[in-house]
Amino acid sequence: MSDHDHIPHEARDRQETLDAIRETGQPFPPSEEFELHAGDSRTLWGDALRRMLKNKLAVAAVVWLLLMVMLAVSADLWVPQTFGSPTKIDTTTIVKQRLIPPSMGHPFGTDDLGRDIFARVIYGARISLAVGILATAISIVIGLIMGALSGYYGGLIDAGIMRLADVFFAFPYILFVVALIAVLGKGFINVFIAIGILGWASIARVFRSSILSVKENDYVDAARALGASDLRIMARHIMPNAVAPIIVYSTMSIGGAILTEAALSFLGMGVQPPTPAWGLMLNDAQNFMETAPWMMIWPGLAILTTVLAFVLLGDGLRDALDVKMKD
Amino acid sequence: MTMLLEVDDLRMYFHTRDGIVKAVDGVSFTLDRGQTLGVVGESGSGKSVTAMTIMQLIPMPPGKVESGRVLFKGADMLEMSEDQVRKLRGNRIAMIFQDPMTSLNPVYRIGQQIGESLRLHKGMDRKAAAARAVELLTLVGIPHSDERTKDYPHQFSGGMRQRAMIAMALACDPDILIADEPTTALDVTIQAQIIELMTELQKRTGSAIIMITHDLGVVADIADKVLVMYAGKPVEYGVKDDVYYRPLHPYTWGLLDSLPRHDVNEKTALCPIQGQPPSLINVPSGCAFHPRCPYATSKCRSEVPALRDIGGEHFAACHYAGDPGFERGVIECAGVGA
Repeated sequence: MSDHDHIPHEARDRQETLDAIRETGQPFPPSEEFELHAGDSRTLWGDALRRMLKNKLAVAAVVWLLLMVMLAVSADLWVPQTFGSPTKIDTTTIVKQRLIPPSMGHPFGTDDLGRDIFARVIYGARISLAVGILATAISIVIGLIMGALSGYYGGLIDAGIMRLADVFFAFPYILFVVALIAVLGKGFINVFIAIGILGWASIARVFRSSILSVKENDYVDAARALGASDLRIMARHIMPNAVAPIIVYSTMSIGGAILTEAALSFLGMGVQPPTPAWGLMLNDAQNFMETAPWMMIWPGLAILTTVLAFVLLGDGLRDALDVKMKD
Repeated sequence: MTMLLEVDDLRMYFHTRDGIVKAVDGVSFTLDRGQTLGVVGESGSGKSVTAMTIMQLIPMPPGKVESGRVLFKGADMLEMSEDQVRKLRGNRIAMIFQDPMTSLNPVYRIGQQIGESLRLHKGMDRKAAAARAVELLTLVGIPHSDERTKDYPHQFSGGMRQRAMIAMALACDPDILIADEPTTALDVTIQAQIIELMTELQKRTGSAIIMITHDLGVVADIADKVLVMYAGKPVEYGVKDDVYYRPLHPYTWGLLDSLPRHDVNEKTALCPIQGQPPSLINVPSGCAFHPRCPYATSKCRSEVPALRDIGGEHFAACHYAGDPGFERGVIECAGVGA
């Protein structure tokens, strides 16, 4: 009942406004609404950054990751000079230098071959970060293309791509990577190619679903009504609104790729010795778990903190990029 | 001279798993330069689909044009290639959508969005398009337009967004402006402003308007001709004064009776049309309106009435339209208590 009560008033209000407009000859009375947000020129990304900075854990993760990257990039300049080569085994001093517990000269201690563990962890960060980022980049490129085709065109293309993704999901992940490495051969490049190729399916799925929801928005129809082509609609109108989940997911999957690389190296399928990689270092540490626990603790902590940082960063990005999150 | 737009026996059917949905079933109308056509009907009567079919924005499948022609300046748009149609969209024929809150892309500045069709169709560069966007925003009555083009949609209120949508639609000086319930999502005072703005701009630019609405009050203000639709079919079509003051179809009578009036004491109860619009999968036999029509006879239940000229370009799809004695009476109104 009450639904209908106000209708006559509404009709009258409209008529009165129209009459007023016609009488005064002032078609567009400057109303308060125009001043409502004047001067408030925040951007979407600006808002996102502000929300991000409020999330202490995410900020800590960013700081930690930046520190890691800086250490890894600048390693050649200071690490070998201060702590010795991360790879070279000096047979003349090995007996004196091996298995030294953490101390002033070797803050993380040394391993069974007399190499400084701090130096190896820093150089290991290069491998881990590179594999994590490159592998995820490969996944993103394949995943975005597949997801975009799938979500935008639908129908048979969608069915085909999604069934292919299902096939990828059906294999036990680590076994699939191991099998791929077995075919491609061991080594750094093949590791990230293998991880990258296997990662596309989940990105494609996330992107597809996000496109499916963005596609339904009126502004996509509006763009088509403006005469925009399929490609333009896809690239300019759907993509920018659909990438937020991908940014979040990719950040987290960098952590996943780092874990996989560590697991592969641990199994001896990844980076080959003497190249320092965290997984490899853990493998080396197995026999010395009781006598020299520092051999295991430092690379383990490195993996833990790095993966955690990526996950926390992803979490922070998810909140920051969500327009509905009000602060 | 050929008509600006001539729609002839347009039929758009959707082939769904549950059956064929005849969303647009034999719609015809003509629109000349500078004219305004009001398309009126309840939700699901096929108004929007008609507009989307003209613009060819319906995904096919499931949609399929079963028959008909859409002649734009004499050329059949349904026969054109996708590229040719795209050159018309937003350029010669522009569309304003119902909900301004969702019809603007949240990641682009207002100015960029207004400029998009200029860059697409007029080959303007970024700078020229931006300058024109400022002019257009001024034209639709937004103050400080040089500043406001740099805003994002979420910084605009609903009424301002609809103004921005109108600016977008007008950017290329279209011959036809299709407005799909442009005021439904706005409150009444803003509605009035938007309607006034559109009539004002029409006078200035001379474009024809197809105004889709379920509100006869909106159409009364601006339309030259009115097309009333029910269940995908046209039921009455004619010049505005005929449809308003000499309505022929019981459905139009019902629509007019259910209209709140500002000149009558507000305590008068509204008189809605009883029942619900039919599902388009299961359209009633005969005249689709017969279950809700207080005048329905057995003929109405069995025979589909054709849209026929009752006289003077005034069409109605009712067996009894124009019969002497078949007049809009005071039906006993179940009413809605005030």
